[in-house]
Amino acid sequence: MNWQNCISCLKNELPSQQFNTWIRPLQAEVSSNELRLYAPNRFVLDWVKEKFLSRIQELLRENASGRPVNIVMDIGAQRTSSSPVARGAVPETVSRLENTLVHNTLHEPGASAEPRPEPVSAEPASRGTSLIRRSPRNMEVIIDGKLRHKGSLNPENTFDNFIEGKSNQLARAAAIQVAENPGGAYNPLFIYGGVGLGKTHLMHAIGNYLVSRKPDAKVVYLHSETFVATMVTALQLNAINEFKRYYRSVDALLIDDIQFFAGKERSQEEFFHTFNALLEGGQQIILTSDRYHKEINGLEERLKSRFGWGLSVGVEPPELETRAAILINKAEQSNVELPGDAAMFIAQRLRSHVRELEGALKKVIVHANFVGRPIDLELVKEALKDLFALHDKMVTIDNIQRSVAEYYKIKMSDMLSKRRNRSVARPRQMAMSLSKELTNHSLPEIGDAFGGRDHTTVLHACKQVKNLRSTSMDISEDYNNLLRALAT
Amino acid sequence: MSNAPRQMALQVSLDDSATFANFFVAQANRQSVAYLSGSAGTELEFFTYLWGGVGAGTSHLLQAVCHDADARGQACFYLPLAQAADYSPDVLEGLECFPLVCLDDLEVIAGQDAWEGALFTLFNRLRESGSRLLVAAHCSPRELPVQLPDLLSRLQSGVVFSLQVPGDEEKREALQLRARQRGIELSDEVLSYVLQRNERSMRGLFSLLERLDQFSLQTQRRITVPLVRELMEQASAD
Repeated sequence: MNWQNCISCLKNELPSQQFNTWIRPLQAEVSSNELRLYAPNRFVLDWVKEKFLSRIQELLRENASGRPVNIVMDIGAQRTSSSPVARGAVPETVSRLENTLVHNTLHEPGASAEPRPEPVSAEPASRGTSLIRRSPRNMEVIIDGKLRHKGSLNPENTFDNFIEGKSNQLARAAAIQVAENPGGAYNPLFIYGGVGLGKTHLMHAIGNYLVSRKPDAKVVYLHSETFVATMVTALQLNAINEFKRYYRSVDALLIDDIQFFAGKERSQEEFFHTFNALLEGGQQIILTSDRYHKEINGLEERLKSRFGWGLSVGVEPPELETRAAILINKAEQSNVELPGDAAMFIAQRLRSHVRELEGALKKVIVHANFVGRPIDLELVKEALKDLFALHDKMVTIDNIQRSVAEYYKIKMSDMLSKRRNRSVARPRQMAMSLSKELTNHSLPEIGDAFGGRDHTTVLHACKQVKNLRSTSMDISEDYNNLLRALAT
Repeated sequence: MSNAPRQMALQVSLDDSATFANFFVAQANRQSVAYLSGSAGTELEFFTYLWGGVGAGTSHLLQAVCHDADARGQACFYLPLAQAADYSPDVLEGLECFPLVCLDDLEVIAGQDAWEGALFTLFNRLRESGSRLLVAAHCSPRELPVQLPDLLSRLQSGVVFSLQVPGDEEKREALQLRARQRGIELSDEVLSYVLQRNERSMRGLFSLLERLDQFSLQTQRRITVPLVRELMEQASAD
């Protein structure tokens, strides 16, 4: 049976778009009397079955001198192909679980432009041996001949390019401690905070540090959803023991966004045992979450309490100077010079999370390339005018009043009323202060929007909120929550 | 996803005419088109977000990028979510094996937990696998009613372009330019008539011009307002 011939015929027969979309991603395993085709998902599988399977059968029959060929179609990935179409004739069968349990260790973002399901070698690993294979781009650790640790560490996320500020210095210090003493007192390390604030960066930085110190360290990074998906596959394939062995054999397990475990009881159960085994074995666990472990709803109490056994550190939204420094650093990473005033300008306007800053910087770089000018303040204003206009359109005083009223569960009319008891006066002051911070309106305009108050009242509110933020944790948290919600 | 026959009704093939060559580039969209077509000398970033109102051409450009990828022999996956949203989000599974994934009509799935979760997972996997993601929506990422904050912040991390619908004057110029390429000169009256009465998307206008050209050859008559009226009446009668 010649799958390559079949591919060549289909390539000639089909429009290139059809071929590239449906046939190219198929991965084939060929044996003497069977062709096993893997599609990336059920949708592609059904489409190929419906539209192309009979033709594939015909072509294969012609190639096999009229002998019928058995074709099996499945979802998943065949293990040993670097290019699904180009290859195809690898005489081995591999369980889907193995494919799922493969994660890149050192990953080069954007490096690949061609289909590359799994960058692994073609020969099957023999049972009972452990070995490390390495190439400039990726590393895999094969354990017991079957399980390969390949955990998606992003080499670009290091401590060196993590910008420290007041908002994250504790978390950074804790991460460095863990990187230097894995499996020590800070186990697990639990990093929590809002989206896009650098939790994942710190996690990768620890992983990269561990690998740099001990190149054969089995460091596995994965998103919690991947853990869940892998476990489901393991259960389906009756291979839960392999799943357990895999996760319990790592030197460090890094799981991102652990809050996605909420409500997934079987995954929690499995993770609980993995967690205990790793802790007993002195292997490091690092977890991130969007909130403090005790506040994750839908998580078993025993897990919540264990997450607090080591060290929990929070990451806050970066302050202005840190945001500017992040921008300058990211520009340097892209070999672009971003002047300080331009960085400050972007940082002043965008304050929600680092991802938004990244997006803005990319847009500025694309714009600079297009117009062929170096980046300066004027160019930044040009490049981001749409984004800022939208921002101004969305963050209005009315919007702020509504959001604050909703947050404190008071009526919108109280925002504008003359009532002065604290339950309404404090939220009103908060809304005034946020209006001053987030809009370009003058103090008299803000006063007008709050039931015709004087501009000195607004000024007093701003000062009051500033003082309270430095003395009350609650007020500070409320302010940050509202700022984030309004600026996103 | 168990209902295979229904899925087959999806039209996920690309429109052959949705290419860069067939796209009228309004002044305001020059940069976006240069970036997407690679003519600006830069490659597509990992994540690009295009948005614009009806007639701005976001779907056209998404498909044009796919056509270009095809021409380079690069596998890509184009999925208009407006047609897929009734189905299971499983359709997004495993797409990280494509070097380029293009998702159209993103606003359709915003606010739907399962879809948002699936897109979030796909986003992370595409990043890990070094693939590229290009999405289009009718509004900016800030305005998209996405409930999952983790997804929303990621949607703001890319290169965002808003596409502008060409103004009437630009449409008039584009139509005249296209007509001259065919060796036809359209009078001001014909241009005004067409712009007032025909579907005013650039594709609709170019398609009308093509039909007008053919009709004029068949009938051996010059393109005048009565001829345009006749063709339009025929089309509406059909």
